[in-house]
Amino acid sequence: MLDTLKKIVNTVRENKGIDPLDAITPENDLRTDLGFDSLDLAELTVRIEKETGVDVFADSFVITIGEILAKISK
Amino acid sequence: MNKVYLVSKDGKQITYDQLLYDLNQCEFVSQVCYQKDTYSIFLEIIASALHGITLTILDADFSSAEIEALEISEDTKSRKVKVQKLLLACIDDLIAKILSNQDWELELFTSGTTGVPKKAKHKLATFTRYLRKSAKHSSDVWGFAYNPTHIAGIQVFFQAFLNANTIVDIFGMNRETILSRINEHGITNLSATPTYYRMLFPTNNVFLSIRRITSGGERFDPKLTASLLRVFPNAKISNVYASTEAGTILESRGEYFSISDASYCKIENNRLYIRAELLGMEIGQIDWYDTGDLVEFVDNDQEEFRFVGRDNEMINVGGYKANPSEIEHALCDHPDVLQAKVWGKTNPVTGTILMAEVICSNQLTERQLRDHLKGLLQDFKIPRVIYITNEISTTRSGKIKRT
Repeated sequence: MLDTLKKIVNTVRENKGIDPLDAITPENDLRTDLGFDSLDLAELTVRIEKETGVDVFADSFVITIGEILAKISK
Repeated sequence: MNKVYLVSKDGKQITYDQLLYDLNQCEFVSQVCYQKDTYSIFLEIIASALHGITLTILDADFSSAEIEALEISEDTKSRKVKVQKLLLACIDDLIAKILSNQDWELELFTSGTTGVPKKAKHKLATFTRYLRKSAKHSSDVWGFAYNPTHIAGIQVFFQAFLNANTIVDIFGMNRETILSRINEHGITNLSATPTYYRMLFPTNNVFLSIRRITSGGERFDPKLTASLLRVFPNAKISNVYASTEAGTILESRGEYFSISDASYCKIENNRLYIRAELLGMEIGQIDWYDTGDLVEFVDNDQEEFRFVGRDNEMINVGGYKANPSEIEHALCDHPDVLQAKVWGKTNPVTGTILMAEVICSNQLTERQLRDHLKGLLQDFKIPRVIYITNEISTTRSGKIKRT
C-alpha cells in the first residue's frame, strides 16, 4: 500500500514540477515534508479515491502519510 | 407524392403520401405530446399546428415524478381535442395551411440541467424566423441529429418539413450508422452540436453529398471546422447561436458574430441580452433578458464578438473563476485531442478542484496534456486530474454533460 501511495504522491509532485521521492515513510508530514499546498492535497485525495475508493479527507483532516495509510487500510 | 418524408431509426421509410393519409384520418389531436418515436412526435406537432391547437411537448425520458413536478396530471397527459377530419389534397395544401396558422403555440421545456425545467411557449414564428423556403431547397435531404422534443430539433424539423424534404433520423445513433446513413440516403444538410460532429471523427471517408452544415448549442471550434471540411469538402459551414427561450438569434459563417438588428440584441458588460418580446416565457416587466452568455469583442470597433462561456458554468477554484469552456478549448487545441470535458469536483480540502476527461486520437499521457496547457492557461485553470477516456457522456440535447 505504501508503494501505491508513493506512486500517487510522486504523480502530484511531478505535476507541480518538483522531483519524485525515492521513498516515503508513515511519519512524513504532507505539507512540510512532501511540500504539498491545499490544491495539491485536493489532487492527492482525488487520486487516492480513484485508486482505493476511500475519500481520506472526508471526516477529518489528515496530516501525515501514516494517517492516510490508516484510513485506506480500514 | 411518393417522396420519402422520414427514414425512422429502424430504417423504415415513410412517404409524404402516408403522412397525408395519417393527417386526413386524424379526428383527435393531442394537447400533450409524450411519445418515444420520432414519427409520432412529428405527427403530433404537425396535427396540432394544422388544427391550431396548442401542444405541450415532453421529453420521452421524463419520469412520472418529473412530469408531476411540471404540474401536468395523468389526465392532461392524455387529453385530446376532437377535430373535423381534413381533406388535404397534397403536401402543398398541408404546408400552406400550417403557415397560415401563425398564432399556433408550442410549449416545451428547457433541458433542465439545473433544477426544475423551465417552460417556454413559442408561436410558429419562432421556428420559422430563419426558415429558408424556396425551390432551391426542394431537394435537400436532412440528417436529423437533434432531440426531436427540443427547440433546436423542432426548428430543424420545420426547416425540412416546410420544404417537403426527406428527413433521415440520425439522433442518438452510433458513428458507423450515422456515416452509412449519410451515404445511403445522400444526406445534404446536417445541423448538430459540435459534440455530435466530433463523435463522427476520426474517419478516413469523404462524403460529397453534404452541402450545408450548421453547428450550434455549444462554443464554436475552428479546429472542428477544419476537420469537417476534410470529411465534407462540399459543405458550407455556419454557426448559430440559439436558446430554448428564444430559438435561433444569431447566425455566422465562423466563430465571430455581429449583431445585425440592434432592436432585438445588445451587449453590455460582455453579456448578451435579447429583447424580452422574443422570449417564449413570462419574465415580468423588463425590456431585456440576460442570456447569461458571456462574449468578448475581437475588434476595436466592438462590432464582432465571440462567445466565451456561460456565467452559471463558471467554476470557483479557491476564489478564482475558471471557465470550463475555455479550458476544454485549450485541451482541444492539442492536435491529438478529439474531445474534452472539464468540471468542478467538490472536495473537502479546497471546496472545488478542476477535473478533466479527454478523448485522444493518439496515446497521450496526463503529463503531456498538462505541459500543453501550461503554455496556454493560468495555473489555477489547469485541471488537477486529467483522465484519458474513450467516451464522454452528453446531455439529452447532445451537449457535453458537465458533472
